[in-house]
Amino acid sequence: MTSIESDSEVAARLEIEDTQRSEGWRLLREALTAQRRNLLLGALVGILWASFKVAVPQMTKYAINDGIEKNGPLLRWALIIAGLGVLTGVLSGMRRYIAFRESRWAETLFRERLFSHVLKLHVGYHDKAQTGQLMSRASSDLMQIQAFIVMIPITLSNVAQIFAVTAILFITDPVLAVIALIPLPFVNLSARRFSHRIHPASVAVQAEQAQLANVVEESVSGVRVVKGFGAEQVQFDKLEKEADDILRESMKAARIRSSFIPAIDVLPALGLVGVLGVGGHRVLNGEITIGDLVAFNVYLTLLIWPLRNIGMIVALGQRAAAALVRINEVMSTKSEIVDPIEPKRLVSSADGLVGAVKFDKVAFGYSAEYPVLRNFSVEIKAGESIAVVGATGSGKSTIARLLLRFYDTQSGHVFLDGIDVRKLSLKDLREQIGVVFEDTVLFNDTVRSNIAFAKPSADNATIERAAKLSGAHEFIQRLPLGYETVIGERGFSLSGGQRQRIAIARAIVADPRVLVLDDATSAVDPSKEGEIRDAMKTVMSGRTTIVIAHRPGTIALADRVILLDEGRVAAIGSHDELVATSARYREVLANMTAASDPERVTN
Amino acid sequence: MWAQGGVTDEDKLSRAQARTVIGRVFKMASPFRKTMLVAFLCVCVTTLCALAGPLLVRRGIDQGIRAKDSYSLNISVALYLVVAVVAYVFGRAQFLYLNRTGESFLRVLRLAVFRQMQRQSMAFYDRNKAGVLVARMTADIESMAELVQWGLLQFIAAGMLIIFALVLLATLSWQLTIVALLVMPLLIAASIKFQRDSNKAYLLVRERVGANLSALQEGITSVRVIQAYAQEGETIQKFTRSNRELFKSHEHSVRVSTWYFALIEFGGVFASALTIGIGGWLVHRGDITLGTVVAFTLLLSSLFDPVQQLSQLYNTVQSAGAALSKLFAILDAQPELAEHPGAVALPATGRLEVRGITFSYAGSETSALNDVSISVGVGEKLALVGPTGAGKSTLAKLMARLYDPQNGSVTYGDVDLKMATMSSLRERIVVVPQEGFLFNGTIRDNLRIAKASATDDEIDAAIAAIGATEHFATFPDGLDTEVRERGSRLSAGERQLVALARAALVDPAVLVLDEATSNLDPGTESEVEHALERLMTGRTVIVVAHRLSTIQRADHIAVIADARVAEYGTHDELIAKNGRYHALATAWQKSQATS
Ligand SMILES: Nc1ncnc2c1ncn2[C@@H]1O[C@H](COP(=O)(O)OP(=O)(O)OP(=O)(O)O)[C@@H](O)[C@H]1O
Ligand SMILES: Nc1ncnc2c1ncn2[C@@H]1O[C@H](COP(=O)(O)OP(=O)(O)OP(=O)(O)O)[C@@H](O)[C@H]1O
Ligand SMILES: [Mg+2]
Ligand SMILES: [Mg+2]
Repeated sequence: MTSIESDSEVAARLEIEDTQRSEGWRLLREALTAQRRNLLLGALVGILWASFKVAVPQMTKYAINDGIEKNGPLLRWALIIAGLGVLTGVLSGMRRYIAFRESRWAETLFRERLFSHVLKLHVGYHDKAQTGQLMSRASSDLMQIQAFIVMIPITLSNVAQIFAVTAILFITDPVLAVIALIPLPFVNLSARRFSHRIHPASVAVQAEQAQLANVVEESVSGVRVVKGFGAEQVQFDKLEKEADDILRESMKAARIRSSFIPAIDVLPALGLVGVLGVGGHRVLNGEITIGDLVAFNVYLTLLIWPLRNIGMIVALGQRAAAALVRINEVMSTKSEIVDPIEPKRLVSSADGLVGAVKFDKVAFGYSAEYPVLRNFSVEIKAGESIAVVGATGSGKSTIARLLLRFYDTQSGHVFLDGIDVRKLSLKDLREQIGVVFEDTVLFNDTVRSNIAFAKPSADNATIERAAKLSGAHEFIQRLPLGYETVIGERGFSLSGGQRQRIAIARAIVADPRVLVLDDATSAVDPSKEGEIRDAMKTVMSGRTTIVIAHRPGTIALADRVILLDEGRVAAIGSHDELVATSARYREVLANMTAASDPERVTN
Repeated sequence: MWAQGGVTDEDKLSRAQARTVIGRVFKMASPFRKTMLVAFLCVCVTTLCALAGPLLVRRGIDQGIRAKDSYSLNISVALYLVVAVVAYVFGRAQFLYLNRTGESFLRVLRLAVFRQMQRQSMAFYDRNKAGVLVARMTADIESMAELVQWGLLQFIAAGMLIIFALVLLATLSWQLTIVALLVMPLLIAASIKFQRDSNKAYLLVRERVGANLSALQEGITSVRVIQAYAQEGETIQKFTRSNRELFKSHEHSVRVSTWYFALIEFGGVFASALTIGIGGWLVHRGDITLGTVVAFTLLLSSLFDPVQQLSQLYNTVQSAGAALSKLFAILDAQPELAEHPGAVALPATGRLEVRGITFSYAGSETSALNDVSISVGVGEKLALVGPTGAGKSTLAKLMARLYDPQNGSVTYGDVDLKMATMSSLRERIVVVPQEGFLFNGTIRDNLRIAKASATDDEIDAAIAAIGATEHFATFPDGLDTEVRERGSRLSAGERQLVALARAALVDPAVLVLDEATSNLDPGTESEVEHALERLMTGRTVIVVAHRLSTIQRADHIAVIADARVAEYGTHDELIAKNGRYHALATAWQKSQATS
């Protein structure tokens, strides 16, 4: 919350909130118009149900007056009531079914739209967005909307019921009707205020629960760190704080419940007391019959639920509106990285060697004030392999991200085969660039699907060849189900080196023009790395390759080396050239050799 | 959250289990016995009030209106008013006391379960997937919150209402009570069937919701890889499939409840038709009065509603029971690393000795360590080397008692680690694990994992020790930079620096370092190595080494291969031996070489 706002700021904020809300409702309106036929049917069924429901006490009254007291056709009345029972039963079933089905369907479609939108949003958005937040857009926020839609047919029948009952009450006895109805608006009001106040309280409870879940999740996932440093007490203290917070927030919610729910339960009883008191005396005075008094009682009870429900739907509507605003916030975010209107086509690989990459005076920073690359230029010929060397945080991985067009440069251009990456469709561009990221992300799926990720139609031979080249085939065969073993978070756990090898196989199957290996063998032990390196030579031949590496042996794979420093190319050339010409490069190498110089260590 | 509780057949508790669960709940809740008792009394009073209302209406009609006694009518009205007020007051109190007991109980449960989880060895965490443990602490405990907030109260109230209503009806007219009871079996049968079907339907929904949420989460967290390989379309298609499956399960569950609620609605009206039909006939015969028929139609709902409520609550109660019994299973699991009753503090210094240990991970047939013995003197440095999967990390973990060996022992200064107090053990021996896990929070917060009491100055010093002061100083927020989920704001090397700085913050007698295969550039790496060297001086160090330089810094080297110590000695001795170590060192040299 900002502390002080000027009037104009407040006005501006309110206006923004207004447009946000109306955009949110528009989202819902569009969804509902698509389903209007079934929703209208639901409303119709609901109104019919309400009228039959109201007819039951009327029939009961006739049955008592005519059937029992006047010795009329008792069986006929009983059958009429039973028939009404069948009708209300069937109709209430239909109403329920339609309401739930339609609301779930709307929710389902919303979730799909949301997911595909989020998946296409630019990486810069995802850097700032929290997974948990996006998850709750697609789960709990959509639930709020579902809960609102489900109430629409019910509310319509409730309104109908309230009108019908009120009319009957006034026709029977206007004075008594007024007395009976006095407390009822308060039921509605309390229900509304209750929903209104309990919601933030339960959101607060949920938020605290989520925080506790975070602490647990971290403590469990990071258990090695926790145990290694004996940090159990630190985590326990964090947990205790969250548990206390939950208790406090829950008790706040409980206090709100305690001040509303008993009141909502008791208020209608006051109406009944009034009816008994005033109505009883009117019966004594002979102004109405006992039958009327009984019917009054029955009708009053018929009013309680609809009034509560209507109070609730007002609050549900507000909640749904808030959820819609949040969802709209995501849905209306435009991806900053999109296909150009008229994408150019890459030259086909049949026309000779492809995969030329050029960075031309590129400046880039994750935030404008802190540049990572400044005036970075390099030209990589088709089929060439190049190693990128530089200090931690110097921007090596950033280069790969720019080539994939995860981000756009702040100035300067990136070209693939002579075409600015911004002029290519994202699919065309990214199909031609295979990056093995430094953090290996595998999917909770079989080894086969993971390797074939970029080309789901790839055949077994292709997949196995890729696995052999990346040195993964051997251990995959030793897995319980071989290539069909499910790996990932909920599957078989692999070591870091094994995961990296699968990620390399994945890039090989993609068969890209440009292969980027971002520290892709860091977790593979050196004896094994030699083997993989030999195999990689096969993969690299005839393909542009950018290797980001820290080990001299890997650097040596490349035709040329770039030394990245201060956001620009500090030196470029073959390894031997650089040793000869670049003092900075020699410095880096010296560090390397120093690090493995046996003499320095002995004492 | 998506529907009410549900429970699988295997989770269902037997009667005996249920009894023990209930018994333990009461034992755990015993500190709140007083509030619990007050809460229960309040529930009784409010339930009685709920029944008193219709009775007072009847009294008003019969003794007041019928008897033309306006004084008696007024008494009834006044009593009704009193009952309403009492119901309100006790209603409020019942909420507060019930919630206070329930929520306090859940808090105690949370703390107890978490504490117990922390006491377990690593083997426990190998057996139980992270997701399951998180679910125990969250979903399982939260599934009881509903019960605490509403369920218990309704359960008691509904039960009492049925009994009172039956007694009341029977005193009014036994003939009509029989008629009403004829409908009851139908209602109960339908309720039982519904309870079963909806339980099944709910379990299906829960399973699909889980799958759907996983797909959602995987899509969001893996968005970079998905975009990099232009697989958005494929991923969306897959998600849509799982989403439609979820929809179908929702639809099925609605269908199950649709016929039930339709039947309930019909049953209610049908019962009053029956009452009027048969009751009217009885009135004509002169067996009962009209007033009785009227009262009956009014009271029928007091009988039907609670039956319906109970059947719905049954699932909630059952799933809470199942959740509780799983939680108790965690509480009962004997912590494998429990402190021995006569535990002593470890001496300040001493030899770390491994004597003939054999160890295999739970569920794996082959042993990860086989009759391994090794000894490290005070201030000595031991490097463990060997091929992937040989058992280096395993040995390191056993030396810090993250696991207990199946055979043999690990001693420090002649005290068996099993006999040491946990606090002295973690103080003397610190393990820096291979993967530097970053927690949500700032860089500073992440260092404080190693030492909660560290001052800002100490943290600055730790960062300085690994030579990263300048690097992090260029960050807009310096060491207060939020590292975001799993440290995604940092570059790969920066994450490793943070993890390493943790080691520089603590001052243990024995440092067990499972060296990360490096993500560091040579420049930074050499800085880190200087730091490590400083870190190692003056203490006993066991390091699982992946760098030649680290190995060469060690006093002794143990080559681990096939779960055994294959070679042991100094660098020169082992090179001279021309065995495994020699081969390994050559491979290393090759990878360091530039051609
Ligand atoms: N998503 C991000 N948001 C903000 N800053 C970032 C982000 N990713 C990286 N940075 C910062 O940008 C700089 C360059 O990061 P980059 O990942 O390219 O480094 P790198 O050269 O690959 O380093 P390393 O060798 O450690 O992997 C670092 O200082 C890092 O902290
Ligand atoms: N938590 C675990 N549960 C079951 N098996 C495990 C577990 N951790 C390791 N193993 C298995 O035990 C054996 C020894 O593993 P360990 O981690 O000690 O190897 P390492 O020598 O440290 O290898 P690396 O150099 O790859 O880290 C391996 O076969 C491994 O698959
Ligand atoms: Mg990087
Ligand atoms: Mg290891």
